[in-house]
Amino acid sequence: MQFPILSAILITPLLGALLILVIPREDVRTIRRVGVAFAVISFVLATILWIRVEQLGAGALQLVERYPWIADFDIWYHVGVDGLSTPLIWLTALLMTLALFYSAHVIEDRVKEYYFLFLLLETGLIGVFLALDLVLFYVFWEIGLVPMFLIIGIWGGKRRDYAAIKFFLYTLAGSVFALLAIIAIYFNTGTFDIVELARLQPFAQDVLWANLASWGLWLAFAIKIPVFPLHTWLPDAHTEAPTAGSVMLAGVLLKLGAYGMLRIGLPLFPQMFRYYVLDVPILPVLALFSIVYGALVCLAQWDFKRLIAYSSVAHMGYFTLGLCAAAARSAETQMAAISALDGAAWQLFSHGIITGGMFFLVGMLYERTHTRDLRAFGGLSGQMPVYYGLTLVFALASLGLPGLAGFWSELFVFRGTAQLLPLAAYIGVLGMVFTAAYILWKVIQYVFLGTFDAIRWGTLTDLAWWEKVAVVPLLVLTIVLGLYPAPLLATFDSAITALLHVLP
Amino acid sequence: MLLDPTLVFRAFSSELVLLFTTLLVLAGDLVFRPRGQRYCTVVTLGGLFLASLSAVVFRVPEDISLMPAGLTLDSFALAVKLLGFSLIAVIALLAEADNCCQSPSTALYCALLLVAALVISILGAASDLVLILLALDFLGVIAYIMTGYERLSPNASEAALKYFLYGSTLSALMLFGFSWLYGASATTDLVGLGAFLDRGATSSALSLRAAELDYVVLPALIMVGAGFAMKLAAAPFHQWAPDTYQGAPTCSTAFIAVVPKLGGLIALIRLTLVALPAGSSEHGGDWQALLVALAVVTMIVGSLAALWQKDVKRLLAYSGVVQVGYMLIGVATQSATGAAALLFYLFIYALASVGIFAAIIAVTGKTTPVSTDISAFSGLHQRAPWLAFGTLVGLFALIGMPLTGGFIGKFWLFVAALEKGFPWLTGIAMLSSIISIAYYWKIIRVMYFLPALTDDSLRVPIWLSVALSLCVVLVILFGLFPSGVPELFRMAIVDFRF
Repeated sequence: MQFPILSAILITPLLGALLILVIPREDVRTIRRVGVAFAVISFVLATILWIRVEQLGAGALQLVERYPWIADFDIWYHVGVDGLSTPLIWLTALLMTLALFYSAHVIEDRVKEYYFLFLLLETGLIGVFLALDLVLFYVFWEIGLVPMFLIIGIWGGKRRDYAAIKFFLYTLAGSVFALLAIIAIYFNTGTFDIVELARLQPFAQDVLWANLASWGLWLAFAIKIPVFPLHTWLPDAHTEAPTAGSVMLAGVLLKLGAYGMLRIGLPLFPQMFRYYVLDVPILPVLALFSIVYGALVCLAQWDFKRLIAYSSVAHMGYFTLGLCAAAARSAETQMAAISALDGAAWQLFSHGIITGGMFFLVGMLYERTHTRDLRAFGGLSGQMPVYYGLTLVFALASLGLPGLAGFWSELFVFRGTAQLLPLAAYIGVLGMVFTAAYILWKVIQYVFLGTFDAIRWGTLTDLAWWEKVAVVPLLVLTIVLGLYPAPLLATFDSAITALLHVLP
Repeated sequence: MLLDPTLVFRAFSSELVLLFTTLLVLAGDLVFRPRGQRYCTVVTLGGLFLASLSAVVFRVPEDISLMPAGLTLDSFALAVKLLGFSLIAVIALLAEADNCCQSPSTALYCALLLVAALVISILGAASDLVLILLALDFLGVIAYIMTGYERLSPNASEAALKYFLYGSTLSALMLFGFSWLYGASATTDLVGLGAFLDRGATSSALSLRAAELDYVVLPALIMVGAGFAMKLAAAPFHQWAPDTYQGAPTCSTAFIAVVPKLGGLIALIRLTLVALPAGSSEHGGDWQALLVALAVVTMIVGSLAALWQKDVKRLLAYSGVVQVGYMLIGVATQSATGAAALLFYLFIYALASVGIFAAIIAVTGKTTPVSTDISAFSGLHQRAPWLAFGTLVGLFALIGMPLTGGFIGKFWLFVAALEKGFPWLTGIAMLSSIISIAYYWKIIRVMYFLPALTDDSLRVPIWLSVALSLCVVLVILFGLFPSGVPELFRMAIVDFRF
C-alpha cells in the first residue's frame, strides 16, 4: 500500500490545530511557531503531491482513497486529485503559510484561538478540493465556514459582527439547498459518488427535478463565487476580515464555489447548463453583470479594501463567463470550450495569487495609516518605494497586463467565448476597460502619485523584512507564470480535456 | 393467564432497581442530612447506571407482550430505556450544581428524577391507550412539581400553575379522544386498535356505517393530536413553554426541555407505527395529514417567535418548539427510517440542550436575582472559554452543522422525508434551519464578539463541567462516527408491525 498522501495533507493542519489547543494560552511564541510550522509542513506535502500528480498524469483522478465512512447511508470517505484540484490545494497551502507567517507579526489578541481556527480552516478548504463524495464535499464545505465566521467576527474591523453573520447566513442559505439537492440526487441514482454521478447523469428524464436539483447546487456555488446579485456578502466580509482572513477569503474561499461548479455543477447537469446558457441565457447575463457591474462599482469606490473586494466580483465574473462558454459547446467547438475552461481554471489560480497579494498590501498600508480612504493618500511612491513597486506589479497583473499571470486567463477565456458566445465576449471586454480605469486611476494615481502630504504621512516606513517575505513569493509567481505559463496550463488543460471528454 | 414469576422479574428488573434507588435516596437523605446533597447525586447516578445495566443483562429473550399489563417488551422499549436513563443521569449532574434544586431537599429532587426515569421506561413499552395516558400524565405531574420547586419564587409558582392548567386541560382532551376511540373499537390495545381501523366500519362495536365511523375517529384523532402537541410543546399548543421555561429553576428547565418531549415522542411513535401506519386505512392517511400540518405550523410559528426573544431561556423554549417540528417530520413519514431518525435526532437535541442549560446554570448561578437575559453571556469567551465553546457546539448541533450529531440527525430526517415524497416539507425545515441561525446567532454574538460586562473569571462547578463535557464529546462523536448507530435504532423500530 502506498503512502496515503491525500489523507496526510488533510490531517496535518488538523493535528496542528489540536496541538495548539494543549499549548498554554500565555506561550504565544510557541503557538505561533507551531502554527507556522504545520502550515509549512502542509505546503511541503502539497508540493510533493503536485510532483506526484505530474508523474502519474494530471488528466485522471490519482491517488484515490476510498473507505466507508457512514455505511448506513452509503457515505464514503472518497478522495482523489487531478490536474484541476492539485494546483488549488497547493495554492491553499501556500497562501495559508504566508498568511500565518504574516499574522505571527501582527496578531497579538487571542493568538491561540487565531491559529487554531486558521489551521482548522485549512483542513476544511483542502477537504473540499479532495472530496469525491457529495456528502463529504458538503461536510468539508461547512467545516470551512465556521472558522472563517469566527475569524471575521473576532478579529475583524468595526462592523465585524454584521459582516460575520452576513457571510454565515449567505453561505449556509445556499448550502442547505445544495444538501436537499444532494439527497434528491441520491434517491434518483443511488450513489453519492461524484465520478459515478457524472456518468449516470441524474434526472436525465425528469425536467422538474433536474431544475430543482441543479439550481439547488448552483445557488450554493454561485453565492460562494460570487455571482451578481448574490455577491453582497463579499464586500462586507472581505473588508471587515483581518488581513490574513481577507487573503484566504479572496484567495481560496471564492474558489470553492468555482471548483464546485467545475467538479459537480457542470458534469452532473450539462444539459441544464446548456439550457440556461443558450435557450434561456440567465447564466451568461449574470456573469456579464458581475464583470461590468463589479468594475463599475470599483470605479465609484473610495475604500481601498472594498475596492479590491469588488474587483474580485468582476474577476470571478470572467471565470463564470468561461464556464458558460464551455457549457454552450457542441462537437465542433470542443477546442474553444477547452480553451475557455482553461482560462477559467487559470483565473482561479492567478486571481488567488494576485488578489491574495493585493489584500496583503492593503492590510500593510492599513496597519500603518489606520485609514483605507483613497482620498487621504497621495504621493506615497516616494515615501514607500518598495511598497509602491510591489503594489504596481500586482495592480498591473490584476488588469491583465501581458507578461503577468492575470493576462492568460483573460486571453483564453475570451478566445473561447468569442467563438461560442460572441456577443457576451464583446460585452465582457468592456469590463477590462473599466478594470484598467480603476486600477490606474483609483489605485495607482490616488495612492502613489499626486501631491504628498508630508505632515500626515512623513513618518510612514517602508515594508519590513517579514512583510516582504509574505508578499514576494506571490510576486515571483505572478511574474514567472506570466512569462512562462506552459507547465501550469498543461496541467489544467489535461484535467479540463478529461472533464469535458466525459460529458455528453 | 398466569405469568412466570422469573419472567416478570426479568421484565421489570430496571424498574425495580429504580424504585429501590428512589427509596434509598429518600431514606439515606435522613441519615446523611448535612452532606446529603453529594450522597443523593451519587446514589441517583448509581441507580440509573444499574438500571441500564439490568435492562441490558436481563433482557427478555424474545419480544414478549405482557398483555394484561399493556406492555410490549421489545427492542424499542430497551432503546428508550437506555436513551432516557442516560439523559436523566446528565440532568442529575445539573441538579447537583443548581442551588434552586436544593431546597427543600435535594433528595426529593433526585427522587423525582428517578421516578421520571421509571415512567419513561414504562412509556417505552406501553402499548395500551390507558397506560400511555397514565404514564404521560404521571410524567406531567413530575414536571409540574419540578417547575414549582422553588416554592418562594413567585415566577416559579406562576410558571408551574400555567404549565399545570395547560397540561391538565389538554390531558383531559386527550383522554376524551382516547375514550372515543375505545367507544368505537371496544379495545384500548394498540394492536387491536390498529386491526380495527384496518378492517373498517363493519367490525365496529357500535355497528356504524363507514361514513359514520369517520365522524367518530376523526375528532378523536384531532383531540389526541392536540394532547400530544401540548406534551411536546408543538404549536399551536406551545404557549405554556416560554413562561414555564423562564420561571422554572434552570435545572428543571433542562428537564422540561428534554424528558416530557422524549415521553411524548416515544408514545407517539408507537401509536403511529402500530395503530395508525401509512396505507393501512384511510385513518392512517388522516393521521399523517394531521402530523404534517402540526409539523409545519410548529416550525413556522416557533421560528418566527424565536427571532424576537431577548431572554436565553425563552429563546430556547421557542427553539425547542422548532426542534420538535423537525422531529414531527420523522413521525409524519410513518416509516421505520423516520422513527429511527427521530430517536437519533431527539438524543442529539437533548444532549445539546442539556449542555446549553448547564452553561446557563454556570453563568447565571451567581447573579441575584437570577437574570437569564442574553447579555449575561457577554464575553463568556474570555471569562470561561470551555463553557463558551461547549455552548457554541451545542448551538451548532441545533443548527445542524456538520461534525456535530445534529447534522447527521437532520440529514437522516430529511432522507426519511424525501424517501416518502415530502420535498416541500424538507424545504420548510431547511428554511427554518436558516432562520434558526439568526436567533442562535444572538447568543454566539454576545459570547464571542462582545466584551464581558465584568472582568472576574467564572468559576464553573465541577459537576457542571463534567455534564457539559459529556454532552459536547457525545455530540461531536456522533457527528464524526455515527456508523452503526443508525442501524441500531432501525433495528429497534422494525419490531413493530407495519
